[in-house]
Amino acid sequence: MRAHPQSRRPARKRPGLVLAALGLGWLVALAAATLLGSQSLDLGAALTGDGKAATILWQLRLPRALLALLVGGVLASSGLAFQSLFRNALAEPYTLGVAGGAALGAVLALAAEVPGGLLGVGIAAFLGALAATAIVVGLSFSRQGTEISTLLLAGVAVSVSTTALILFVQYFSDPNRTFQIVRWMMGGLAVVGYREVLWLLPWALGLALLLGAHRWELNLLLTGEETAAARGVDLSRLRLVVLGGVSLAVGALVAVAGPIGFVGLIVPHAVRSLVGHDQRHLLPGCLLAGGIFLALSDLGARTVASPTELPVGILTAAAGGPFFLWLLFTRRRG
Amino acid sequence: MSARGLTWHPGGKRVLGPLDLEVHAGECLALVGPNGAGKTTLLRLLAGLIEPTAGTLAFAGEPYRRFSRRAFAARVAYVPQIRPARVPLSVRELVLHGRYPHLAGPAAAPREADFEAVARALATTAIEHLADRPLDELSGGERQAAYIAAALAQETPVLVLDEPTTFLDAGHQREVCGLLTRLHGEAGQTVVLASHDLNFASAVADRVAALVCGTLAADGPPAEILTPERLAGLFGAPFEVVHGGARPVTLLRLAP
Repeated sequence: MRAHPQSRRPARKRPGLVLAALGLGWLVALAAATLLGSQSLDLGAALTGDGKAATILWQLRLPRALLALLVGGVLASSGLAFQSLFRNALAEPYTLGVAGGAALGAVLALAAEVPGGLLGVGIAAFLGALAATAIVVGLSFSRQGTEISTLLLAGVAVSVSTTALILFVQYFSDPNRTFQIVRWMMGGLAVVGYREVLWLLPWALGLALLLGAHRWELNLLLTGEETAAARGVDLSRLRLVVLGGVSLAVGALVAVAGPIGFVGLIVPHAVRSLVGHDQRHLLPGCLLAGGIFLALSDLGARTVASPTELPVGILTAAAGGPFFLWLLFTRRRG
Repeated sequence: MSARGLTWHPGGKRVLGPLDLEVHAGECLALVGPNGAGKTTLLRLLAGLIEPTAGTLAFAGEPYRRFSRRAFAARVAYVPQIRPARVPLSVRELVLHGRYPHLAGPAAAPREADFEAVARALATTAIEHLADRPLDELSGGERQAAYIAAALAQETPVLVLDEPTTFLDAGHQREVCGLLTRLHGEAGQTVVLASHDLNFASAVADRVAALVCGTLAADGPPAEILTPERLAGLFGAPFEVVHGGARPVTLLRLAP
């Protein structure tokens, strides 16, 4: 074909360098979230002794930092998976109501005092996430593919409904339980020991492996559903696998950390601007950057109003709301 | 490829068929017909992108449903007419995506053979100089060439194209025509395409099938199908047909 008069090469991104920097940032965030806090820590005593300082370091700060890094990574990679699957920058587990469904499942389990502890709440959250996904995606399927506007509207509708149902459950619970539900709904990472970290770790790894194994298919969706199918992507299977995987991971996550909004929206967008659109770089980028973002947000939540601790969900939502509006605004203008 | 009693009546709406159609190895078949005749639907059915509501489709004697999506994409490539407005890829990346059905596994990395196939596809479509340009910066003609290159990188025996010359200027139309003629004539590629441009269909195809209201109205060599009488019946418009060279050239009389 004829040559275009201007033969400009695209701006080169250096994804390898960015990923290395994010890896370093992840370690720095782990160190910062472990060492800093509302209470100053005598590191020498913490490392050698087994007194109060050691308890703060090993039983409170470190597990909390690790949980924040994991939760942030899962949230960001789930957001990335939804955005890639639906080819829309506004799609993520929270805007599509999946997290709302998980929260409703978990709240019902908390209110009904379901036995089994974390596993009971986790299963309920997963079922809630799956039901919400099924409703939202089912509504927006058509023979021509997925209707994005219907998808987002269905997500809003499901979110509003789940919030109403959660309020309903709260209203009829006893005051103690209501307080527990309200506090949990704000999202938080206050844990003691490693139970929650160990619970979430396999789900996080599973999701990362699943998305990694489907990176070509998710990349192919950049060219549109029809072209991707023509290249050999089984769209129904891909949707089923990715939506199922994300619902599982989000269910497991919501069971320990409550609903923490907007990480899945902000982080993939930021990472994309740094490493480009290839899932090979986007996925590890999101796992790392999501963790860094949430660990630092949680550090902020612990220290901003010290000694009072803010729920981290409030901080991320405060950042995410304006970001969502900005995204909508720039898309409208674009 | 062969279709028997092929029907597409989604939700009871009669869009296509039932019809029988054979596409022989090495031939170039052009589907023509008025808007809404079912050309794109027939192409999508042949490319295995939608499943017929009734009837059977077979590739080399094997029913379509025996193939996985990826295995089928190694046999039939499809270039759709409508594509997303923004695709944040370079031409080379787009063409490399065409190698997906040939990767060792769905998650395997491309190998040397894949990069060679990409280079061949870029050379065949003569767009090597555009390889590292972002797709979104290209003109319509260049973009069409890139999508055809991606389909060629699939290295399939059959290539299906929906309206390959729509929105292209005369020069690019001729280039696409030359490319398809070379692919079909020299490389023996089986090509099935739909086109509103009757001269394009006449120039590249050795067989023309006319669709009307979802059924086959006529099927044969261009000189037999592209006659003033048949075209008037198909489109309800007056045509003149000139037989200068080997293939007929149609002229639509637009002024009343």
